[in-house]
Formats: sequence, structure tokens, C-alpha cells
Amino acid sequence: MAALAVSVVAGAASAQQGQRTVVGERYIPTIWVDPDGCEHWVMDDGAEGYMSPHVSRQGIPVCREVNLCGVVNTDQLFATDSARISHAGKQRLHEFFRSAGAVSYTIVGHTDSRASDEYNMSLSYRRATAVASVARSMGARISDVRGYGERMPKASNNTAAGMAQNRRVEIMCWR
Amino acid sequence: MAYFKIAIVLPVIGLLAACEGGHGTVGPDKSRDRGTDKKHLSQLQAGIWVDPNGCDHWIIDDGVEGYLSQRLDKFGKPVCSGVAPPTVATGPFKDGSRIPDVL
Repeated sequence: MAALAVSVVAGAASAQQGQRTVVGERYIPTIWVDPDGCEHWVMDDGAEGYMSPHVSRQGIPVCREVNLCGVVNTDQLFATDSARISHAGKQRLHEFFRSAGAVSYTIVGHTDSRASDEYNMSLSYRRATAVASVARSMGARISDVRGYGERMPKASNNTAAGMAQNRRVEIMCWR
Repeated sequence: MAYFKIAIVLPVIGLLAACEGGHGTVGPDKSRDRGTDKKHLSQLQAGIWVDPNGCDHWIIDDGVEGYLSQRLDKFGKPVCSGVAPPTVATGPFKDGSRIPDVL
């Protein structure tokens, strides 16, 4: 277990002020991908094992394939600015939850970028809640309901097609 | 007293060495399991352990090593699926290793 002195240059700006010496050992991890498709740092040090989720500096997990079992375009469920699901929308959701058969669901609402951020946070949450109540009425278990408004776009809000993609409710199925 | 301690410690070291196949020291690359149970760590098999708050963690019992890491959704929030009651571990988390879990 020889200690390794790692010299760290503390950024280009302070390089002239010199180096800091860190006393440590080098632990180079590999990646383990969990059954949801998300990455974890993993290390085996002989008799000990270590693991931690691989997240970006913003705290967003790094995933290969994302476990999204349903994305519903909200135009098919709701009228503009409404959080009331149409009759046809309810039928679609019944069909979806009947065939999904997961242990539980996380339901997340999103909007495009028109109207204020505050309004969109509220609308997306009310829509997600409406979808969750349809699921509950069928006996499905809901693990979480959230609304992210316009803050998590999946396409550009500069085009009509992009905005349509952003108006959505995502359903994550946990197994 | 010192004699007593040695008598207990020595067989334990012997047991661990047998399990691990006596692979010596591990260098900076910690990406593989060495010895008897050798494999690249990407092949670990996980189950779910549910914490006292009801939220999921990936749990892996890989013979000598144990691993635990949080289950997060794509936004980075904990997944609390209800797949098992709090403090229960479920799924194939002991299936990735041939080393029996004696404890």
C-alpha cells in the first residue's frame, strides 16, 4: 500500500503560485450499468468493494437507455391550458396502465416554453396529477408525481414541432 | 491474551486468502474482481435493498465484496418503488458469485 504523492495543479490561473501535494492512492474505477440503464462508479480493492452513482456535476444521472415506459403527448389528453383529461384520453391511459403491469409509476409533467415559468410549473404538475389519479383509479401504485414546467425540454422550443414534443407527460415504470 | 488473539485472527486470514485465491496487492486499476471469483466489475448482478424511508438502492453481494448504490431516476431523484417493504433486500443480488455467504 505505497502512498502515492499526486501533484495537483490547481487550475491555470493559480499555476504560478505553485502546486499542492496531495497524499493519496490512485483508485481508478470502472462503470457498472444498473438494470434501469444508469451508470455507477465501481471499484474492487481486493476484499473491499465500493460503488456510487455516476451523476453529472449538476446531479443528473448518466444513463445509457432511460427507463421511460411511456411518454404521452399532452395534446392527446388535454385541451390547451387545461388539466382535465378527455374521455378518449382516459381510455388511452386505461389501456396503457393495464398493459404496463409495473410495481409502481413515477409521473412527470412538462410544458413548452410559452406562458410564464410559474404558470407552466403549476400546469405540468396539475396534468401529472390528473394522469396519476387515472392510474390510481385502476389500482396502480404511484411512487411520485412531479411537474417540471418548461425546465426540462426534450426538443427545441424554437419550432412548432419541438414545442409539441415538449408538451408531454412522462411515465416511468418501476419493476 | 496476545496468544488468544493470534489464535482467532490467523484462521480468519487463512479463510480470506483461500476465498480470494491469494492475488497479492491490487494496483491503481480497481475495475476487476481478482482471485477465485475473478471477473470485470461490469458483470455484477444486483437486487434491490429498500432503505428505512422506503427508497431503493442497488445491492450486490459479490462473495467477499459488497456493494450498495442509490437507485435514481433520470432527473436524479430517489426511486421509492415499493418493490419490497423498508429494510428488505430482494432480487438476484447473491447470484453473481460462487463464493457462499457464510455469515
